Parts: sequence; structure tokens; C-alpha cells
Amino acid sequence: MAQALISKKDRKIIKEAMWDHNPITFQVLGICSSLAVTAQLKTALVMGVALTLVTAMSNLVISCMRNMIPSKIRIIVQLSVVSALVILADQFLKAYMYDVSKQLSVFVGLIITNCIVMGRLEAFAMANPPFRSFLDGIGNGLGYSAILILVAIGRESLGSGTLLGFHVVPQFLYDHGYVNCGMMVLAPGAFFLLGIIIWIQRAISGYAEES
Amino acid sequence: MDRQGNKYTFLFALAVCVVCSLALSLVSEGLRTKKELNVALDKKKNILKSVDLREPLPAKAKAQDILNVYAEAIEETVVDGQGAIVKGKTPEDIQEGEEFYPLYIYKEDGKVIAYCFPIIGKGLWSTLYGYFALEPDAATVRGITFYKHGETPGLGAEIEKDWFQNDFKGKKIWDIKNNMLMPTKVVKGKVADQVSAEQAPFYVDGISGATMTSKGVTAMVDKWLKAYEPFFSKIRKL
Repeated sequence: MAQALISKKDRKIIKEAMWDHNPITFQVLGICSSLAVTAQLKTALVMGVALTLVTAMSNLVISCMRNMIPSKIRIIVQLSVVSALVILADQFLKAYMYDVSKQLSVFVGLIITNCIVMGRLEAFAMANPPFRSFLDGIGNGLGYSAILILVAIGRESLGSGTLLGFHVVPQFLYDHGYVNCGMMVLAPGAFFLLGIIIWIQRAISGYAEES
Repeated sequence: MDRQGNKYTFLFALAVCVVCSLALSLVSEGLRTKKELNVALDKKKNILKSVDLREPLPAKAKAQDILNVYAEAIEETVVDGQGAIVKGKTPEDIQEGEEFYPLYIYKEDGKVIAYCFPIIGKGLWSTLYGYFALEPDAATVRGITFYKHGETPGLGAEIEKDWFQNDFKGKKIWDIKNNMLMPTKVVKGKVADQVSAEQAPFYVDGISGATMTSKGVTAMVDKWLKAYEPFFSKIRKL
């Protein structure tokens, strides 16, 4: 093969999006939805997959159009493309995978307004070729999903004693006075966990905000 | 053409609008029948769930099987505001604003096993849609389901979980001693801690962290039981 399907530079885009420039811990985007859907692992997984697909696809489409979009109305154009894509996907789910769409319906609105989607369109897709933008979308989506899953694991296991609905905290502990941490089910629990995760991630990656 | 000029900007915006709206309306129209079928099937599935079939549907029942069981077991009727069954009307015929209420009767071998009716009301974020089923004595709850809502996962969305719905089963809505209607109420916390043993049959456990959703459920059960009371009071007198 003359050229690898994904070159070194492309791989760097994904890695950078997932780790060094992680949308949540570095860019601090998408905090709203990471509070809203992390009370349970299942919803966090669904949101992660949905957002990765939407970011990648909208990055691809906008990147193809990037040289034609008048800069005065670029945000509105981006928003129209994103919402059209999301609604189209929702319509197909309603027709062919009704159960999945019932689970997702809450998230459709959250995805359209998710700052990561718009943020990546503005920061990356408007200035880079389609395939690379697509990879950037995948990377950011995966980076976002990874944090979401971590937070959700912490919140569901501590808050409800379950993971994906299965009990993980043994009955033995409850018999000896262990109580689920109710705060973890509520939004503040996510704030604490997110703060700790951002702290750890930044300590490892060595990033510090300029003072 | 000048890419930053007004004319180009307007034309571009127009093109985006036309393409987006065309694509959306085409897909929406093209999939309409399929979507409506799904919604109708989901409703029937939930009616069957709330009446607690003697032979429960298998978890992976095919669409056609569900429709067959439904057609065999459920009789669709309509009652009016005075509690009389309206002849020759089905739930689909009810127009908005009319004082007619759909009633689904679960019969086996000609014997009534449950009465089921839709309940609709506000939760915290969204409208809750569900079904409520009573035993033939019109005094005991047979089941409740929620099939559509937009409440918070882990909090209000617990209304769709079995532990919450199963708690309704066997609860009383009719106080024999005082001869009065007692619509099931959702308490804050556990029933055992909140109300006396004598009152316990009229209450179910609440959802912690979801007070507003619980209140919404209480209000909608109250509202719809009162709406159907003319009909059920006749059943009780039989």
C-alpha cells in the first residue's frame, strides 16, 4: 500500500482530540449534558455513541461546504445542518428501531445544543479538509464519551448501587449499614466527580491554565 | 460572485433552507405509516402490560403476535361522562373536546378480568402518558404502566421501572369503611414510614429525588379515576 488509510498525522488528530485537547477536561465543553445523562451508565453510553456520530457527520458535511459558506451566517448554517442531521436520524430510528428511539428522544435536543458539536465545527471543520474533520469529530466524540462513562460509572455505582441496572454493591454491605449516596444521583454529584477527573487528567497531561 | 456579498449570502441561506426542509419533510412523510404503526403497537403492548395478562407476553414477542393477543383479549369501548358505555363507538372515534373516555376491557372466556384506561398528566419536565388497570371489583388496582415521558433518567424516569409500577398492584382505590373514592397516592419516602398500617393500601412508595414527578403521578391518577368514577361506581353496585 502506498499510503496507509490513516496516516500518522491523522492518528495524531484523534489522539489529540481524545487526550491532550479532550473536549471536557481541556476545552471544558459539553458540561451541561455530562451532568444531565450520567446518573446511569446506560444513558451515558447511548449519549456517547449518538454524539460521536453527530459530531463526525456534521464535521464531514460542514467541511465539504466550508469554502462556500458566507462567514456572516456561518453559525446559522452550521446549526441548520446539525439539527437537520439529528432530526433525520431520529426519524429513521422512530420508523425502524422504535425502542431505541424512545430511549433517545430525550437526547435529541441535547445533542443539537451540545457545545462540542458547534465548537468543533467552528474550530476545526471550517478550516480543514473533510476526512480530517471527520476524524476530529470521532476523536472528540470518543474523548467526550470516555469522560461521560467514567462519571456515569461513579455515579451509578455510588448513587444507586447498580451498573447498567445490575446490582454491584453486595447485599452484605447493606446489611451492615451501608447506604447509597443520594447526592450522586443528583447533578452536584456529577460536579464533584467531574472536578476530580479533570484534576487527575490535567495532572497527568501536564496542562495548566495560564495565570 | 462575491462570496461575502449580500446577494450571495441570501441565496446561500435560501438554498440551505430549501434543501434542509425538503429532506426533512420527504423523510418524515415517507416514514409516516411505519412510525404510526410503531406508536399503535407500543400502545397495545402497554395496555396488555397494564392489565397483567394471565399468560404474559414473551419478552421478544413479534409484532404480529402482540396484535393477535390484543385482538383476542381486549375489547375496545367508550364510556360517556355519565358512565354509560357508548354503543358503536371505538376509542379512535373520539374527537378532541368530547366528553367520552376510552375504556379497554380485558376478557377471557367471556369473563371480565380487568378494566384499563389511559392516564395523562404533567410530571416535572414533560407530559406523562400511561395506562391504569383495575380489577373487576373496580376497587383494586391491577396494574399501571408509563409508555411515554421525558423525565430525568435515574430520578423521575424511575416511573417506568418495575419496582415502582409493581407497588401499585393490589392497592385499593375504594375505602369500604367510609364508602369513598381513595385514588392511590405516591408518598414522599416509604409508605411504612409515612402512613398508618390502616391507610397503607391507599399509598405507594415514592421516588427519592423525584418529588415533582411523584406529585404528578398522584395528580393524574386522581384526575382520571374521578373521570371514570361514574362508570366504576355502577360496576361496584352490581
